[in-house]
Amino acid sequence: MNTPKQNCLTGACPPIISRNMHTIKLSEGSGGREMQSLISEVRKRFPETSAWNNLRDDAATFPIGKEKHIVFTSDSYVVTPIFFPGGNIGKLAFCGTVNDLAVIGAAPTGLSFSCILEEGFSKDEFFEIIDTIASLSKQTGIPIVTGDTKVVERGGVGKIIINTSGIGITKHILSDPIQVGDRVIVSGGIGEHGTALLAKRFELESSIETDSKPLHEELIATGPFIKQAKDITRGGIAAILNELAEKNDAGIAVEEELIPLHDQVRALTEILGIDAYSLACEGRFVCITSPKNAEKTLSILRKFNPSASDIGKITNEKNVTIQTRYGKTLLAVPSGNIVPRIC
Amino acid sequence: MNNSQLISDIKATAANMGEVRIMEVCGGHTNTVMRYGLRNVLPSNIKLISGPGCPVCVTSQRDIDAMIEIALAGIKVATYGDMIQVPGTKMSLADAQNLGADVKMIYSIDQILDETDRVFFAVGFETTTPMTAKLLQNGIKVFSAHKVMPPAMRVLTKEMRLDGFIDPGHVSTIIGSDVWGTMNIPLPQVISGFKPDQLLHSILLLLKLIQNKSTAIINDYPEVVFPQGNIVAQNLIKNTLKSADADWRGIGTIPLSGLTPIDAQLDARIVYANLFKNIESVENTSCRCGEIIRGLAEPKDCPLFGTVCTPQNPQGACMVSASEGACAIAYKYGKSLSEL
Repeated sequence: MNTPKQNCLTGACPPIISRNMHTIKLSEGSGGREMQSLISEVRKRFPETSAWNNLRDDAATFPIGKEKHIVFTSDSYVVTPIFFPGGNIGKLAFCGTVNDLAVIGAAPTGLSFSCILEEGFSKDEFFEIIDTIASLSKQTGIPIVTGDTKVVERGGVGKIIINTSGIGITKHILSDPIQVGDRVIVSGGIGEHGTALLAKRFELESSIETDSKPLHEELIATGPFIKQAKDITRGGIAAILNELAEKNDAGIAVEEELIPLHDQVRALTEILGIDAYSLACEGRFVCITSPKNAEKTLSILRKFNPSASDIGKITNEKNVTIQTRYGKTLLAVPSGNIVPRIC
Repeated sequence: MNNSQLISDIKATAANMGEVRIMEVCGGHTNTVMRYGLRNVLPSNIKLISGPGCPVCVTSQRDIDAMIEIALAGIKVATYGDMIQVPGTKMSLADAQNLGADVKMIYSIDQILDETDRVFFAVGFETTTPMTAKLLQNGIKVFSAHKVMPPAMRVLTKEMRLDGFIDPGHVSTIIGSDVWGTMNIPLPQVISGFKPDQLLHSILLLLKLIQNKSTAIINDYPEVVFPQGNIVAQNLIKNTLKSADADWRGIGTIPLSGLTPIDAQLDARIVYANLFKNIESVENTSCRCGEIIRGLAEPKDCPLFGTVCTPQNPQGACMVSASEGACAIAYKYGKSLSEL
């Protein structure tokens, strides 16, 4: 039998790749509609538990005594490239889990750190990632308390996959009911993480760095004034606003001119034909406050990030709209993988 | 002129006109229209009809199926981002990649300029053709689904009632503004840029031409579109590609509306013909993409829309491109275009 390669050069080889289509697709991890549908398919197969709450949120909660709740979350991290302007996969893994606890209102008390490494992965790079996590742990006072390491054969996982889980405690779970007219506030410029990765991937010159950072201090400071919060991750602000609207069975109306967008993010996404509102952040959140508390919340957030902005309000329509300088249009949930347009 | 002035001028001009049907040919313009909600600032008698200018949408299912067969045969392929997700009869290139095929998404041809063992699936109009020409010069095999715009525009003016065209800006940077006058298109045209103000300004100019029953062509994007176009790019194309008939998804075969490599040894359609000569490409017969692309039907008129045909499982061209396809946009926004 000829080798497939020889055959193919003459254009005569049969297809050599299996056509079983019932497989996991990349788009099912991209933060859009497909991922949501996969998650709910998984979730509904697991039995519900009576004592745990907020099972569909960023972190689940478990009441202890009358006043407090344990908050628990877990997340896995894969990213290409693993080092990028302003950070690396370790920073994402630390901050991501801290932030999932923080948006529920919890002060994180400790994290686990597990990784799957690939044979041949540079030890220098590995320890650079570890040192990043160590310095964040020191800086925030949130310890790494347990973990696990596995090594797989070359080609198995693309250098490194990290999982972190975290536990925190809160008195006030951030899931208060919202009302029409409540304000929607974003904690800083959006899409910077996604833009930093794209710039590196496409070798475009920019000074944009990842926005990845721990958000627990911002959320603890604003906690008493806000009703709900959600960190902006994959799917960008477009996905997160739609999730918030859907979860609350409400609508959100935002104004484009109020959404903080760094000039370089605007320029690079325009060059690449990518929607900035669908780009990932790793250190930004959206929160909902009463109109009365909006100014207070904003003034606290601006101490952490001057570009924090009140971008819109809760409506009784069941969609997310964006008022541009011209007309009003819908800010839809991203679908498929986020890829550049051709022209 | 600021945008509120532009909008009020458009309203004033349109006030004494009947229904005006303007086609924005280029998918990039459609994207601007949707992105900035321009449809709902225009007076209701101005109908913007999205043309066949989304290169991904008009790539035929047969071409996609052929390319998938090449990829599934274990041959390395590459194409632009948008194209990867477009469904063929049984799957998309993204699905093929998911099954293990080597499908590289590129943004620039620089990424594959020295990969002579990779086949490039070339799509797009005159804007992206020079890059393909460069690959051919470098000895890289190309499966060309390239199309040229004017023949399709001529077909559309015969088939449907249109009052004027917003001509594609980036296509014009390559072919130049003068050449539009030689295309036998019997309607007024304005070459437009892609910023919302530029597009509104071009719409205003076009309305005035329509009002004056003029068939003039105005270059309203002179900062990048020159009368003779980009001669270097034109020569590059002339030396590597030749005219050919092309299949347009939803429209059919249009004579001499495509481009194919001059060098048969670099033409993947010829080199790998055995891989896909026996495949059957089946377009869903209930799909009304052809009419929707030509502005003769709305997404909601199609029996498949939102049921069998969704962005996750598109049946036709209009559901394909998330940012430019009429059905994908309508689905995403939960409304048909006329309501937006």
